[in-house]
Amino acid sequence: MDNKNTFEIQHLSFAYDRETIIKDISLTLHQGCITTLIGANGCGKSTLFNLLTKNLKPDAGEICLYEKDIKQIKLRDFAKNVAIVHQYNTAPVDLTVEKLVAYGRTPYHRFGRDEDAKKSDEKIKWALEITNTWKYKDKLVSELSGGQKQRVWIAMALAQDTKILFLDEPTTYLDIRYQLQILKLIKTLNREYGLTIVMVLHDINQSLYYSDEIIAMKDGKIVAQGIPEEIINQELVKDIYDVDLKVTQIDEKPFVIPV
Amino acid sequence: MISKKKQILVFIGTILALLALFLFAVNTGSLKVSPMELFNGLFVKYNADVTAIFDLRFPRIMIAIVAGAAIAVSGVLLQAVMKNPLADPGIIGISSGASLAAVLVTAFFPSWYFFTPLIAFLGGLFAFFLVYSLSWKQGLSPLRIILVGVAINAMFTGIMSAFNSGTGSTYAGAASIVNGNITMKTWSDFFTLFVYSAVGLIASLFVVNQCNLLGLEDKTIRSLGIHVNRSRFIVSMIAVLLAGISTAIVGPIGFLGLIVPHIARLFVGNNHKVLIPYTMILGAFTLLFADTLGRVIAQPYEISASIIMSVIGGPFFILLLRGSKNNYGQ
Repeated sequence: MDNKNTFEIQHLSFAYDRETIIKDISLTLHQGCITTLIGANGCGKSTLFNLLTKNLKPDAGEICLYEKDIKQIKLRDFAKNVAIVHQYNTAPVDLTVEKLVAYGRTPYHRFGRDEDAKKSDEKIKWALEITNTWKYKDKLVSELSGGQKQRVWIAMALAQDTKILFLDEPTTYLDIRYQLQILKLIKTLNREYGLTIVMVLHDINQSLYYSDEIIAMKDGKIVAQGIPEEIINQELVKDIYDVDLKVTQIDEKPFVIPV
Repeated sequence: MISKKKQILVFIGTILALLALFLFAVNTGSLKVSPMELFNGLFVKYNADVTAIFDLRFPRIMIAIVAGAAIAVSGVLLQAVMKNPLADPGIIGISSGASLAAVLVTAFFPSWYFFTPLIAFLGGLFAFFLVYSLSWKQGLSPLRIILVGVAINAMFTGIMSAFNSGTGSTYAGAASIVNGNITMKTWSDFFTLFVYSAVGLIASLFVVNQCNLLGLEDKTIRSLGIHVNRSRFIVSMIAVLLAGISTAIVGPIGFLGLIVPHIARLFVGNNHKVLIPYTMILGAFTLLFADTLGRVIAQPYEISASIIMSVIGGPFFILLLRGSKNNYGQ
């Protein structure tokens, strides 16, 4: 199982108007791993994220999920396999946490009815518990702090009961304590519940520390993919961010000194 | 969060108020009958007074009830689609687009009379797409929708006035069908309104889940396996249908689609499963109230329901704008 692939991307290209953002990318995402996309602003990592999550359509090349082109997968079926936490979210002011998390069961609804109400209740409860939001379930989403809100959005995605979870900069706008809570939660979901995680992170050191695999991008191309310890060095950092930074080690993981 | 108990009480209270208002409206005017006489006259034996009331007052009352429900629900649906608590079929020009289409068809193709509601729907649709496409700029900004809508509304209203002036009021009759007046309506008007509105109102109950989901960000809705644009299109069609049909029969009634949903949100919350049915009842009550008030306030003259709604609605709209706590924020 360990080496089974989830996403396989071949010769993927994408352009906004006439500007090519993604240039002939081919890569494989491995099942059971935490994979993180890193790179400077405008390198194409967000675009790649949106292509993988069916928010954008490729101009050329193909993206396969379990060997099936995602173009051929219905949005509803895709949502049963892949859950996505987007960077920016809003909820109606008087929606409770539990009601919001229950929206995660939408892909399992047919004509407005739940296909398996008992399973839905279990999944919603599990999602609330694992994200440590059970105690707020009757509160309004709008009353929560930033860190609590982010955990609730993750809970909604988990209620979708998928094997793959995408997160777009899940720690942005949060202070360091909440950032760590979210990253530890992601680690737990991966290690204990076997979720395949694909995310975009801003902080390079958090990426190196929490990921099994790093995909480093520059100008719409992939410059390196692999285990953090093996690929990160001063030259690569210079290449992707165009700054000279020292690379040292903490807990046997590479650490870039960001000054 | 509003408790279920409170929601039920509000529902029952509003239904009772609507019934009371109905009886009051039936009995307002030169003819008066007691509820007992009314019941007997309707179902038991012939009574001249009751028959006159049945033919003259009932249609307008029933029309006010159905049109009120239709316009108010149209408002809720547009607010969900545009994520904008200030959207209203009147303010953003759907009603005037529908009116213009109805006026033109009555003037030039009088034999198509029966299809007027459908043509009004097409007119409303045209206005809606103009507003939607012209205010789209990497998403819909609430303010831009209102501004573009006001402009579209002014344009259609202007064309309509130009048409009336330019034809030396030859077609005044055509314009009068859509001047927002419910007097002189017959049972046949009611049936036309009822058939089309019933379709729209029932359809609105089938999109409550979509309306709730539309409160989230578009990308997040997609991640739940929902085609956002398709949902938005369906909900918009129902909203424009409801607004267009009622405009064809009672003319544009401004602010109803704004005020009623707003009060309804305060009473029962933003969950569309509850909000949409409640808006129907409260919309019916509000338009019947405006119409009845117009009948009694300056007897023996009548003030049309649309004028009453404008006089009340204008200040209310300003209040909303000033204190606007965005229902779709956070």
